[in-house]
Amino acid sequence: MKQDMFQARHEAEWTALDRWLERRARPPVRQRAHDVEGLIGDLDFPAAYRRVCQHLALAQRRGYSVLLIDRLQGLVHRGHLVLYRPHPPRWHAAIQFFAADFPRLVRRHWRAMGVAALLFFGSFIGVIVALQFRPELAHSLFEPAELAQFETMYDPARSDARLGRESGSDVKMFGYYIMNNVSIGFRTIAAGFFACIGSVYVLLFNGLFLGGVAGHLTAIGYGGPFWRFVAGHSAPELLAIVISGGAGLQLGMALVAPGRRSRGRAFVEAGVDMAKLALGVFAMLVFAAFVEAFWSSIGWMPDPIKFSVGGLLWLLIGLWLWRGGRGATHAA
Amino acid sequence: MMPRAAAWAIDFALRLVVVWFVSLALAVLGDLGIAIYVIILFALLWLYPVLFEVLMDGQTPGKRAVGLRVVNANGTPVGWVPSIVRNLMRTVDMLPLCYGFGLVAGFADPHSRRFGDMVADTLVVHVEHHHGHSSAPDVPAVQSPLPLPAGEQGAIVAFAERAKQLTPERQQELANLLPQLTQARGAVAVQRLLGMASSFLGRH
Repeated sequence: MKQDMFQARHEAEWTALDRWLERRARPPVRQRAHDVEGLIGDLDFPAAYRRVCQHLALAQRRGYSVLLIDRLQGLVHRGHLVLYRPHPPRWHAAIQFFAADFPRLVRRHWRAMGVAALLFFGSFIGVIVALQFRPELAHSLFEPAELAQFETMYDPARSDARLGRESGSDVKMFGYYIMNNVSIGFRTIAAGFFACIGSVYVLLFNGLFLGGVAGHLTAIGYGGPFWRFVAGHSAPELLAIVISGGAGLQLGMALVAPGRRSRGRAFVEAGVDMAKLALGVFAMLVFAAFVEAFWSSIGWMPDPIKFSVGGLLWLLIGLWLWRGGRGATHAA
Repeated sequence: MMPRAAAWAIDFALRLVVVWFVSLALAVLGDLGIAIYVIILFALLWLYPVLFEVLMDGQTPGKRAVGLRVVNANGTPVGWVPSIVRNLMRTVDMLPLCYGFGLVAGFADPHSRRFGDMVADTLVVHVEHHHGHSSAPDVPAVQSPLPLPAGEQGAIVAFAERAKQLTPERQQELANLLPQLTQARGAVAVQRLLGMASSFLGRH
């Protein structure tokens, strides 16, 4: 077939696809619901795209002019971008993710999560216990100025004021907690890339630091205000630290022990899980920041309520991670 | 490497400007203003690249200005998960300072990927601008005596497009390499080649 005939025969089709792509490349949300008027329908687009792909192949094979090939190439390229574009986030998918997929993912990486929990809670509890018997060890963990700061923050003598902070309103601290905690969580995850070393370091450091503060304040008799403050948000925050550490460890294992895959392939597969775990950690830490800013700081609340809410959160989050998504059919 | 650094610098400057304006606007709101400010800071740090890459065809404003695009390794537009991965891994590529690891990885990798791109299975590619071959000189079309495959047609069109940048002597030297096609030498051969390019481009 001569090029002229080929062009004449398919010109209308190409123009229609071109105009459809112009309208459809980035449609506003409300336009997506119905077809673009007067052009090919949205449902016909894949078929039209396939036909143009075939026309391009024919044009290349038959040696038609560069101009025509360029034009068809452009159509195919733009169509490709539209056909394979990522779908916008959907509500039911998000709910499904947090209700089922995320706890399931955490359980699937139970080895990494277990090691992370052992590293973190091991060092945390170990330091607390050690400081009860050898209180002077606190001075090898912290500078004197730091110790003095912790002591003023949780001095029982001023426990009628806001707990756990020196100044600032609830909403302002909410912003700071999100910024700091989520950034730390994300960095913990990414740090696992270096053969797990970064994540192990962050887990141990945080375990020692938090355990040091808790142990020191308990040892000098300031434990009351401290435990009252941390009880509420401890569950989401500490578990989120452990999960981000575990996510970093499973990423690092792609380098250390990729199994029967190339290291590159193992990294790509671990990366997908890493992103999903990071989303869950993000949600947990935002929740923790909310509790920390608006609930934990309330000074007048009686102890039993404070501690039972904290315990209830541990129970609920534990149940969520343990049972969430179990029994349901796997969607993915 | 250079375009990517330039794109990053543009994004960075843009975010600084936004932060500056936001801090001015929110200063009147007191503590609530500080909270919003910090949350916006967080969004600019972590969400900005992901949202732009996924929703704007793989281009942050900086990448758009420089003509770069993030795509999956198989050429499809980048999705949520790969974009989150490559931007989380940014913290690794930034180490120890000034994207040191990212630079080393980019120079060592055949596809110039930083670590984040390797883990996310993504590529940063140049966006080809469709220029429509307007730079080819507009001369009367000449039919080619032989049917030419597309690659060779492309070479002749490319010659026509670059002709203005070449000296007449160099043009003739190149045209003289194709005696069977032009059936002439010197300036006539150049004219015939330019005419063939016109005909390949569909000008009559």
